[in-house]
Amino acid sequence: MAVTIAKEKWTSKVGEMVLGADSTVKVGGESALPFLHFEGEIPNKPVLALEVWDLEPVDWPEILKKPFADVLADPVAWAKKNVEYGADLVALRLMSAHPDYKNATPEECAATAKAVADAVDVPLIVIGCGVEEKDADLFEKVGEALNGKNCLIGCATEKNYKTITAAAMVNGHSVIASSPLDINLAKQLNILMTEMNLPANRIAIDPLVGALGYGIEYAYSIMERARMGALMGDKMLAMPVICFVGQEAWKAKEAKSPDDENPEWGAQERRAILWEVITATTFAQAGGSIFVLRHPETVKQVKVQLDKMMESNAY
Amino acid sequence: MILIGERINGMFKDIREAIQNKDPEPVRYWAKRQYEMCASYLDVNTGPTVEAADQPAVMEWLVKTAQEAAPLPCCIDSTNPDAIEAGLKVHKGKAMINSTTADQFKMDIYIPMAAKYNAAIIGLAMNEKGVPKSASDRIALAMEIVVNCDMHGVPMEDLYIDPLMLPCNVAQEHGVEVLETLRQIKTLADPAPRTTMGLSNSSQRCTNRHLINRTFLIMSMACGLDSAIADVDDEELLDAVAAANILLNKDIYCDSFLKTFRSK
Amino acid sequence: MGLTGLEIFKQLPKTNCKDCGQPTCLAFAMQLASGKASLDQCPHVSDAAKEALDSASAPPVALVKVGKGAKEVALGNETVLFRHDKRFEHPTGIAISVSDTDSDIPAKVAEINKLVFDRVGQIHSVNLVAVANASGDAAKFAEAAKAVQDNTEFPLVLISEDPAAMEKALEVAGDNNPLICGANASNLEAMVELAKKYDAPVVIKGADLNELADLVQKAGYKKLFLDSGAREVNKVLADQTQIRRQALKKFRPFGYPTITFADNPDPIQAVVDAGVYIAKYAGIVVLNTADPADVLPLITLRLNIYTDPQKPIAVESKLYEVGNPGPNAPVFVTTNFSLTYFCVQGDIEAGRIDAYILPVDTDGISVLTGWAAGKFTPEKITEMVNETGIADKVSHKKLIIPGGVAVLSGKLQELSGWEVLVGPRESAGIPSFIKQRWNA
Repeated sequence: MAVTIAKEKWTSKVGEMVLGADSTVKVGGESALPFLHFEGEIPNKPVLALEVWDLEPVDWPEILKKPFADVLADPVAWAKKNVEYGADLVALRLMSAHPDYKNATPEECAATAKAVADAVDVPLIVIGCGVEEKDADLFEKVGEALNGKNCLIGCATEKNYKTITAAAMVNGHSVIASSPLDINLAKQLNILMTEMNLPANRIAIDPLVGALGYGIEYAYSIMERARMGALMGDKMLAMPVICFVGQEAWKAKEAKSPDDENPEWGAQERRAILWEVITATTFAQAGGSIFVLRHPETVKQVKVQLDKMMESNAY
Repeated sequence: MILIGERINGMFKDIREAIQNKDPEPVRYWAKRQYEMCASYLDVNTGPTVEAADQPAVMEWLVKTAQEAAPLPCCIDSTNPDAIEAGLKVHKGKAMINSTTADQFKMDIYIPMAAKYNAAIIGLAMNEKGVPKSASDRIALAMEIVVNCDMHGVPMEDLYIDPLMLPCNVAQEHGVEVLETLRQIKTLADPAPRTTMGLSNSSQRCTNRHLINRTFLIMSMACGLDSAIADVDDEELLDAVAAANILLNKDIYCDSFLKTFRSK
Repeated sequence: MGLTGLEIFKQLPKTNCKDCGQPTCLAFAMQLASGKASLDQCPHVSDAAKEALDSASAPPVALVKVGKGAKEVALGNETVLFRHDKRFEHPTGIAISVSDTDSDIPAKVAEINKLVFDRVGQIHSVNLVAVANASGDAAKFAEAAKAVQDNTEFPLVLISEDPAAMEKALEVAGDNNPLICGANASNLEAMVELAKKYDAPVVIKGADLNELADLVQKAGYKKLFLDSGAREVNKVLADQTQIRRQALKKFRPFGYPTITFADNPDPIQAVVDAGVYIAKYAGIVVLNTADPADVLPLITLRLNIYTDPQKPIAVESKLYEVGNPGPNAPVFVTTNFSLTYFCVQGDIEAGRIDAYILPVDTDGISVLTGWAAGKFTPEKITEMVNETGIADKVSHKKLIIPGGVAVLSGKLQELSGWEVLVGPRESAGIPSFIKQRWNA
């Protein structure tokens, strides 16, 4: 008996974002729910970024530091290492600008960002220190230093989006728009940014995801709703979604707890990496397009999974 | 909410004259204007003054002219099957037939036509005896249309049942029946047929027409109305629909919801 | 779930004989749909039509049970494609497989029995043990089934496509409602006979969706699990989606829970595949690993995906320790909404602060909502401070409350006798707050 395949008739699609000086990386563009090749186009595979910090991370577990042991204090070498590890993009986190750390000046950060950008041939994601006022100052300089590199910068929030958006527009970058687990605020921030004439396909939505076990389901459902909105023609939710998986997964107790602390949980290395991998692959099923990760083994495993998911399942 | 712009109709003086003078400008103007004002379909109707024999040619011209000016499908509105078919023949994209009643001889003409041209169709909950008063009688007629569409393979998402609102100054008691009909139509089939309504009918020869139209549209949306043939050149009507879409959880809220509705 | 007028009308004789008292069959269908008439008022309706109407009024996905007693697993009864539409009802059953060629089955089963995890006061575990007939030998299979059954309380999944082997295994395990896995095109009749004999659920495996629909219709049995035959994760995703969609559209052959197999030869990818199946509609997922490092992430994922989005989940309201808090450790007050608690806990950990957390029982709602609803009050906080005996654990008397409810501080200070510090509005601010403000 022939089963009639049930296909949704979507009327629209996710916007396509292009990153990199030579436009090497494309994300978004889907006209179907994640990996349902049988009902639409999925032109671009989700992309993976590995983080680089501009100062030696203080709270990373040993397992996470090990693959970068000799480069943790050198962002340029670290970035190159990330490319060797197979990252599609390098995500530079300008943590040194944080008042609690070095309180580095925008100029200092801009110099670091430039050095990193010049050292690698993959596109850059540049993330501020998370203090909204400081990040606004930061990106005026950093955006300029990276002019023409077509980076993804952020995270822009309700409070600092104006400066960051302006810096992105002048210097040809795209912007990460962050809003705390709230689809309505996410949509509004996208509107405010497009009202400044930033093209919609130069915005990536950051729904501030939680890790597996720590609220993953909230962002999962927000991303599913946003993708449905996009496919049904809601242009202000039709942006690719960026998921900061590494920072969340490596906060989880299940990733940080060493072998001897909870022996009933199994070996830390395997458990921690699976924590990061499954957080990422679960969000991929909800519509995530850009994943910012921390461990090179995670990049390897997520890539294998995504390669398989990109194979057609059309009937 | 699927809005069908009512303005390209020979009942309006400018369109009547345009038809008489073969002047495409007013048709083009209203096609574009209604497109800008969020219409999803353009209703096209030759009006009563065109001779029956001329109606097919006029309809063909209206459809072509409207579709050249705006990227929208047409809701081909006539009581003359030849005129409707003439419109369907030149139409690009998925047209809508306006309309059949629940009379078997009419359904036998229009429903196969919808199937042949892969068009949507409006089914009026009335027959040659007129418009019934009670919701249950309207539903019984709607069911006749549902069954006939199902028989001819017209999917339910292509059928738009119009429960027929009458002017509230002469047939005030119909309002609650129409609302009840809208609620019950969704239980006729699964997937359910869609619903529509000639909105301006509700306020014929009344004062404060815009207010009545707008209020009844929102009340109807709450009862499950999917579509309306309406005066889309009415900003307050559009804003009310935008708000209702939010309240009915059809659009995702954001502070600029009026603006996003318009820019769709 | 009621039937629509059209569904009923299609099953009526359409003779308009008026024997039911209605003028037409259509009118009778409408009366039935609105519950104003019953089907037996029509003397001419056929048995086939009656059965079709009965099955059309059944839920979209049948509820099917495996096992007996306390560890019984019930799957199915699902009503949505997306958890945000309502919720997913019955969490994916996690089965761990052993083979009848394994040398020490009791030891392996003991490993499986240990896969029980405590997560903020709730216990989560795997659900089933699958026994695979890898040897191809009927006696060995029965022996293995017995060894598993004797060593675990979890229900069994018996995996063999050989009816003779299945018959042997059922002789030892058939009374405990195991899942028979299963039937395919070549053994359908024999397997279904066995299932009927033991009144047990059976897996039907098709070579593809079309064959699966065929076999289900031929089976003539209702305690079913579906297996579309796909084993590559991209194809399983498509088939799982189709089966759920079709079931919700009331395509009856697909109205049963599914079973999936995470048997990717790459052991890490097998776990990742299993995660996809949990998120995407699997009734049961069979794993070949009993490594807790593999199983813990999957059990956690299942817990998250199957959380009712309409019901906030709560953590147990009790005193929690982060790190190794000493007498000078700060004490944070928050609510027991799980997301709130995990944010606070996560950010305290991220700041490498040793601290105590007191999540007040607000029925699992957040700080501001809890305050607005009168569930996060100075009285309740005071009560919790007293009941947990936190005063005996720390040498100071300072509470840190969320910045959003600064308004509580006066009353709380008065009632509890503790000094109240107003913390940051967002938990992300905790590390720098402690750096700048904390000295006990």
